[in-house]
Amino acid sequence: MSQKRIAKELAELVESPPEGIKVELADESDLYLWNVYMEGPEGSPFQNGKFLVKLKLPTEYPFKPPAVSFGTKIYHPNVTNDDKGSMCLGMLRPDEWKPSSKIAAVLQFARQLLVEPMPDDAVEGRIAEQYKNDRARYDELAKEWTRKYATA
Amino acid sequence: MDPPSDHEVVDLRSLDYVSRYDDHLMCPICHCPFIRPIRLQCDHVFCQKCLNTAITSFAGLRDDFTCPSCRTPTKGVYLNVPRLLINMCDDIRVKCPFAAEGCEEVMPRGHVQSHIDKYCSYQLVDCPNDQCGKKTRKMDLHPEKCMHALHPCQHCGEDIMQKDYEEHVQESCPRLETTCPDCQTTVLQTEFQEHVEVCPEMNHPCAASRFGCPVKVTRAELAAHEQECPLVMMGPYLDAQNSRLGSLEATVRHLQQRNEIYEDGLSNIRSTLFESSRGVPERNPNSPQDSLNQDRLPGAPEQPANDQWIDLPNVYTTNANTYLLSLHESLREEVGQLSHAITDLDARASMAIMNECLRIKEDMAHTNAAVSSIRMQVQWLMNPRLHQAQRMAGARNNNNNGNGNANDGDDTATAGPSNAAGPSPGLLRPRRLSDGGREGTKL
Repeated sequence: MSQKRIAKELAELVESPPEGIKVELADESDLYLWNVYMEGPEGSPFQNGKFLVKLKLPTEYPFKPPAVSFGTKIYHPNVTNDDKGSMCLGMLRPDEWKPSSKIAAVLQFARQLLVEPMPDDAVEGRIAEQYKNDRARYDELAKEWTRKYATA
Repeated sequence: MDPPSDHEVVDLRSLDYVSRYDDHLMCPICHCPFIRPIRLQCDHVFCQKCLNTAITSFAGLRDDFTCPSCRTPTKGVYLNVPRLLINMCDDIRVKCPFAAEGCEEVMPRGHVQSHIDKYCSYQLVDCPNDQCGKKTRKMDLHPEKCMHALHPCQHCGEDIMQKDYEEHVQESCPRLETTCPDCQTTVLQTEFQEHVEVCPEMNHPCAASRFGCPVKVTRAELAAHEQECPLVMMGPYLDAQNSRLGSLEATVRHLQQRNEIYEDGLSNIRSTLFESSRGVPERNPNSPQDSLNQDRLPGAPEQPANDQWIDLPNVYTTNANTYLLSLHESLREEVGQLSHAITDLDARASMAIMNECLRIKEDMAHTNAAVSSIRMQVQWLMNPRLHQAQRMAGARNNNNNGNGNANDGDDTATAGPSNAAGPSPGLLRPRRLSDGGREGTKL
């Protein structure tokens, strides 16, 4: 059942992708690993950047939430600053996840998080502090990282 | 959901949905049109199977299971959905699940099961040979005979399953041979196309066939023929002529169009000229020729040109007549339209006036009623006072007869306050009498 639904959602996302989001399979033979290319939203310090977001769907999908991680380094309070780049998304927590949530919604939510980080729900405490107290410096660093890592 | 052994249950989720369906008919979990839908207390609907899976993969206690859409506790209440919803889902068109085998049937989803059980000859069934384990199409099924046994092809030696053997021998075997219709050589079917390109015996038309050379000879003789064929020699010249003709035709077409435009313009000019000449009053219709000449060439005795004008006046008069007639006709039409519009307007206006009149009449009746009811009320209010005043006046008059008119000055000075039922009965009495009487008659 999961395959059918995943294939359907993938087809929908490829056919009519949400703004600034492009979806493809990381490997044509594996429906459960997606590569998502997300453009940095306009008006955010990530503007003009292109971020690789990896989506890993569990075999129990849609009953278990997908895992979202950034393949591109990003300066953001809600994304871990390590080689995993895991993203903390409220709706992806197992107790918050609903089987009726769609991947399109997850991706749009993730993109929205680039515009409005949630410092109270952060995984990078230092960046969250800076976001709250010294926004100018945060913007500057985020822009610099975007230029360094997210522009090909 | 294990399929019963005698017939398989179709997995409706894996079907190919042909028609687009409303997203509202889609189970939020499996994103397919609902299959055996169940409704929760919160009015969210899911497939039975999806809901079961959701319950089994739910982390908490079974009794605490919440709606997968809105997280309202279900309290273990599972309700039926309206028949309408089930019917709508079952009416969505799907392809036969054996479309890959060649079945082209498209049917409502609700009929898939019976189509497969009863009608679809492309359905895959188990091979009658228990050892084989493969599936075969129902239409190909031979009782008690396994169609999956491999036989070597007698031509190419490849092992072919019996069910495909016939097709292989007749169509796809690489060693299949065919005979060239022209040179009678036998070639492999796969190489036939190449052979046609080079077959020396095949008849080819002469290169000048488009100029009418009827010769059709084999490739070998063709070269010799083309050496002496006069049409081939004339070919380049004919080609050049053709292209010249083509360009000339295009030019002629172009010129024709221009000519048409000029003719139109000329006739326009003629009619304008004629109208302007018609504008001159007092023209004698019996001698249009003279008048025309006079009109057009005032004072200029252009006798040599006269023969040119001879038939023009006739043309003009008939033209003018038809023009006038058509003008008259169109004017008449316009007048008719106008009178129509006027009658229409008139009817509408009188209708509106009548409506307004009725309304106003009604209003007036209302007002009249209101006024008369107010009059009644005032009279009723005034009546007791009037009576009292009269009575008092009667008493006072009796008194005054005895007392004389000593209080008259005081009375006129303090007249005004209306609470005449004041404590000093001596004041105001005569005045109130006359006032009350007057007011009563006024209303």
